[in-house]
Amino acid sequence: MRELFVCLVCVASLAAADNTFLLRGATIHPVSGPEIRDGMLLVKDGVIAEVGTKVAVPRGVRVIEARGLHVYPGLIDSGTHLGLAEISSVRETVDTTEIGDFNPQLRAIIAVHPASEHIPVTRANGITTAVTLPSGGIISGQGALIHLDGWTWEQMQVQAPVCMVLQFPVIQTRQERPGARGPRPFSEAKRDYERRLQQLREFFEQARRYQKAKLAGSPEFRTDARMEAMLPVLEGKLPVLVHAVRERAIREAIAFAESQKIRLVLAEAREAWKVADLLKQKNIPVILGPTLELPLEEDDPYDKAYTLPAELHRAGVKFAFASFSTSFARNLPYQAAMAVAFGLPYEEALKALTLYPAQIWGVSDKLGSIEKGKWADLIVTDGDPLETRTQIKRVFIQGREVDLSNKHLRLYEIYSRRP
Amino acid sequence: MRRISRWAIMWIAAVLCVRAAPPSVFAIRGARVVTVSGPVIEKGTVVIRDGLIADVGASVPIPADAWVIEAEGLTVYPGLIDALSSLGMPEAAAQTAGTVRATSRSQQPAPAPAPTPPQTPEAKPAQGPEDRPSNTSWLRAADLITPGDSRLETARSAGFTAAVTFPQRGIFAGQGAVIALGGERAGEMVIAAPAGLYLTLTTAGFTSFPGSLMGVLAYIRQVYLDAEHYRLAKELYARHPASVPRPAYDRALEGVLEAPRVLLPASRAVEIDRMLRFAAELKLNAVLYGGHEAHRVAALLKKSGVPVLVSLRWPERSRDADPEQVESLRVLEFREMAPSTPAALAKEGVRFAFYADGLWSQRELVRAVRRALEAGLSQADAVRAFTLSAAEIYGVADRLGSIEKGKIANLIVTDGELFQEKTRVKYVFIDGRKYEPLPEAPPEEGGRAEPSEEVVQ
Amino acid sequence: MRRYALCLLASWALAAPPIVIRNANVLTVTKGRFQGSILVRDGKIVEAGPKVTIPPDAQVIEAGGQYVMPGIVDPHSHIATESVNEGSVSVSSMVSIEDVLDPEDIAIYRALAGGVTTIAVMHGSANAVGGQCTVIKLRWGRDARGLLFEGAPPILKFAMGENPKRRGSLPSLLPGVTVQPRYPATRMGVEDVMRQAFLEARAYREEWRRYEEKRQRGEPAIPPRRDLRLEPLVEVLEGRRLAHVHCYRADEILAVLRLSQEFNFRIPALIHVLEGYKVAREIAAAGAGASTFTDWWAYKVEAYDAIPYNAALMVRKGVLVSLNSDSAELMRHMNQEAAKTIKYGGLSEDEALALITINPARQLGVDKRVGSIEPGKDADLVFFDRHPLSNYAKVLRVMIEGQIYFDRDRDMSRRAELEARKKALLERAREREKKQAPARRRPA
Repeated sequence: MRELFVCLVCVASLAAADNTFLLRGATIHPVSGPEIRDGMLLVKDGVIAEVGTKVAVPRGVRVIEARGLHVYPGLIDSGTHLGLAEISSVRETVDTTEIGDFNPQLRAIIAVHPASEHIPVTRANGITTAVTLPSGGIISGQGALIHLDGWTWEQMQVQAPVCMVLQFPVIQTRQERPGARGPRPFSEAKRDYERRLQQLREFFEQARRYQKAKLAGSPEFRTDARMEAMLPVLEGKLPVLVHAVRERAIREAIAFAESQKIRLVLAEAREAWKVADLLKQKNIPVILGPTLELPLEEDDPYDKAYTLPAELHRAGVKFAFASFSTSFARNLPYQAAMAVAFGLPYEEALKALTLYPAQIWGVSDKLGSIEKGKWADLIVTDGDPLETRTQIKRVFIQGREVDLSNKHLRLYEIYSRRP
Repeated sequence: MRRISRWAIMWIAAVLCVRAAPPSVFAIRGARVVTVSGPVIEKGTVVIRDGLIADVGASVPIPADAWVIEAEGLTVYPGLIDALSSLGMPEAAAQTAGTVRATSRSQQPAPAPAPTPPQTPEAKPAQGPEDRPSNTSWLRAADLITPGDSRLETARSAGFTAAVTFPQRGIFAGQGAVIALGGERAGEMVIAAPAGLYLTLTTAGFTSFPGSLMGVLAYIRQVYLDAEHYRLAKELYARHPASVPRPAYDRALEGVLEAPRVLLPASRAVEIDRMLRFAAELKLNAVLYGGHEAHRVAALLKKSGVPVLVSLRWPERSRDADPEQVESLRVLEFREMAPSTPAALAKEGVRFAFYADGLWSQRELVRAVRRALEAGLSQADAVRAFTLSAAEIYGVADRLGSIEKGKIANLIVTDGELFQEKTRVKYVFIDGRKYEPLPEAPPEEGGRAEPSEEVVQ
Repeated sequence: MRRYALCLLASWALAAPPIVIRNANVLTVTKGRFQGSILVRDGKIVEAGPKVTIPPDAQVIEAGGQYVMPGIVDPHSHIATESVNEGSVSVSSMVSIEDVLDPEDIAIYRALAGGVTTIAVMHGSANAVGGQCTVIKLRWGRDARGLLFEGAPPILKFAMGENPKRRGSLPSLLPGVTVQPRYPATRMGVEDVMRQAFLEARAYREEWRRYEEKRQRGEPAIPPRRDLRLEPLVEVLEGRRLAHVHCYRADEILAVLRLSQEFNFRIPALIHVLEGYKVAREIAAAGAGASTFTDWWAYKVEAYDAIPYNAALMVRKGVLVSLNSDSAELMRHMNQEAAKTIKYGGLSEDEALALITINPARQLGVDKRVGSIEPGKDADLVFFDRHPLSNYAKVLRVMIEGQIYFDRDRDMSRRAELEARKKALLERAREREKKQAPARRRPA
């Protein structure tokens, strides 16, 4: 690990380690509390040790002057394919979607490509942590929460698995057959859907039987990787991230989760506004996709997608922002900005990029705000990170300053120099 | 001799009757006569001789050799004309208008009805207009008539006596013919041909030209330019055979040149506007068909002088659509307002005619027409749209479409006002021959064709 | 929405008094910014400055605290058309977007709501030589003819790179459907198709010239068959039609620049041109323009070297640069896209705003009429509630030639009414369906 190497080389003084420093003079935005003008932030061994206006500074600690700048918690993208896809049109570079409908045993974390160009590009705009997800089929696999920095995926791993990914079956009337005209008959699409739903139920039942057999310790019991992967889900330890866009699918996903007694987190849920009360009542959090989207229906107000976060906030539904992308993950803060323009209070937007995802993913003891004891995942900016013109000056992940150089910056520099 | 069965005797008698010459002089006496071309005759007589209307009036002498039909309490109308049809051409039925047509975007109101494209695998996909894809403009309906088309009986029972029938496959589908819906031999059925060139805007899919709507339009434009060029080349060659190259014979262009008018599909207001400008640009003698949103552009149509054939297959939600899917306002309005189109056109003075679009059964026909009546179309205008207007549009008003002396004896005799649910057609005359309609068949078991439909995704 | 627009139109048209937009922060783009007013008469900007004389009969729009900028120009879009690609052949220059404009596409209204007033509706990139494209104004509520930007030069689309050669390789795009490969399969072939097309166009022009000569001499002659495919190419050669070329990689950008120089025509817009920064010097030297995305990348191999600094780098090397959306979604917030060129590459505010206003207007040949707030130009104006380069800015209203085509307040106040109308129509439709139910048999 990098920090170990540095420690070995440096004088054996904790204060000289590169994940220990004092940030001074900036406006600190803890998110969990009011902003601190002319603040001081002490980081020791990658953990926030002190934060305030007056902080005792241990002798010899590296001081980073940040007058006129701002410090925020590193931003969290709650839904990406970072590390799993490089060029979306080139199959060889895409590892998100496996064959088969039921693959709970697949682990996205081990397929994360640490040298993906998307990672430095994304973190250069202040995103320090991301949930990276498999997709496809019905049960796609296990998603992982990763830091956007590390020599290996082990180093990047924050929590893996962080969720089980489920694509809730839908009644698909759109014609898949090439050359076919018109939509599929609803009755046919409904039959397909019912079949898939039945398969899903059966799979869960199969997993329960496995669970029972395992507990019973019967001699015929054989370990099955797929079934093993389902156990934390059945025990309610691992939340299930269910992709459901329309009201019908959302309602059915909720009903399914209740009947199976599993922990539900909804993904996308573009019609969540239609079931907001239900979501609030059952405390179901939502991972929202991009705000900058066209409305689903022709008659929807033009700003329907823009106002969704504000609507959910007013209804008391907890949500976090996600890009559901690789190439556009860096624009996550601007998705939040649009939500603010159309009614979401600024503080809530910031929380939906930091504290709320940390809470939803069960890592709020380590991430999501600038508080004593949490990891020093920080970004230093010259302004509001939700505004495009803001420059990200420094990024820290667990107190280590991260290189902001990336492919785009490199190409820019090279070709700026071309005579 | 054993007892000869009653059936055998009747059969023999029938055969003898068939062999004997059928009566060719009829007098329908004491009926209400809706002439369409003039005022209604409350109690009048129509005399038919040798296939033509010999006389019509309030008090008309009845020839001695006439078969008299006492028609007190009955009404005589001109026979209905199905103004855009596949009747008489059972092959064309396979691609009858009324099948679902996909458009490139969802939730659109029904575009012009069009047949599904031919699924024949082509040896080589078309590379451009010069390959003349989907062009069979030389095909003539008149050559393809089959008196044995089983749909003719149904149509007659609903009151149809004539149809303008067209080949329907492809972009330049072919030349239509005005036909009578009865006759022993195909040739006898043809009243007038060619009646016009039927065009559709069917694309050939992504891999063969034309693969897009704009491709189809560019293709049509090029074909008309080529036809003009061809005509010019032929003329010049005729005058200077020695100094001008001999133009190659092109049957596709021959077909285009010979058409007295061109039928273009247009249902949405945008499509109508588009086709009107297209027709004006190419200087086509155009007739639009479909017409469901014509009510929005009635003034534009009036100005252009282009007539419209209005499909009676009003747009409806597909029976097999997602019940939870709510259509857009645009689609809902399109469906709601479509039946008001005939009334709007009548008010604006736009010439229009109806076509059944496959709805030939009495029940379906009446239901469809009633929607237009309820939306404001007058009874007289409805009748006219099925009779004289259709004849006028196809230039055969001198011989068809109204009850006037000298016109073809295509008539129907009903026991009430046309397009009332209880009214039945009692007699049908086609070319002066009498037909008696079948009793109304019960509704088909699930086999009814889908309404013309937009794509709802 | 259509009807509401028409009503608004009617009310404005009937009155037609002059309009004064008062006390706004005006971003002219070409002449700096000021706080003041704009006088509009008969759809044109008559005066714009800190102090503007207000005619007594003027309709005043109070715009205190608001930001007014020129209507956004998007030089590459695929909305408002019923066809995008004629992908069956490699040269499809006979097709025309103008034939298939769809003025009822809701995307028009949604783009308006994002501040766009002029767009070029483009043929897609499935062919080396594509179809004829059209410039329209987003006059929502008018018919197809009413959308056309009068006097805008016609455009012909060309495409290089991966898209036009995709159909050259098997297996085809469509699984289970055997399809003959369509030439070209390589970038070499793409350039070849273009060159062949231009050579044919030259030959065609020559043919007509010879025919004219024969006619002058009084000799009998059949005119050449008019070829709708070649005529637009002749127009490009003669500078009467603008060439817009979709391209990505540096080598193909250079290839098409050299081709254009060989055939002696300028390229006012290289589109997307994501590697333009690598050959910015050559682009500038050829007098070509460039229209790009800010930060799309890595969706295709040819987009893997795309960088968000592309626009800024090209600007610095003297290229006329604009931004385009190529997306019904992105076009709704091009102001945010413009801000990205400040972050990535350090363009100034006016330079950034120029990328979505006067620069694309120049590339489309309509800069005499739109693209900046100057007397004599069309009153195509967007009202924002904050500086448009802020992500928090919202469009309040949009004016085209003095008429309001989008007003956020009106849009919001009409929503309930539209919902109610829809509900009523739905009930009637369901009633009708129920009445017919006995006769309708469900399929078994």
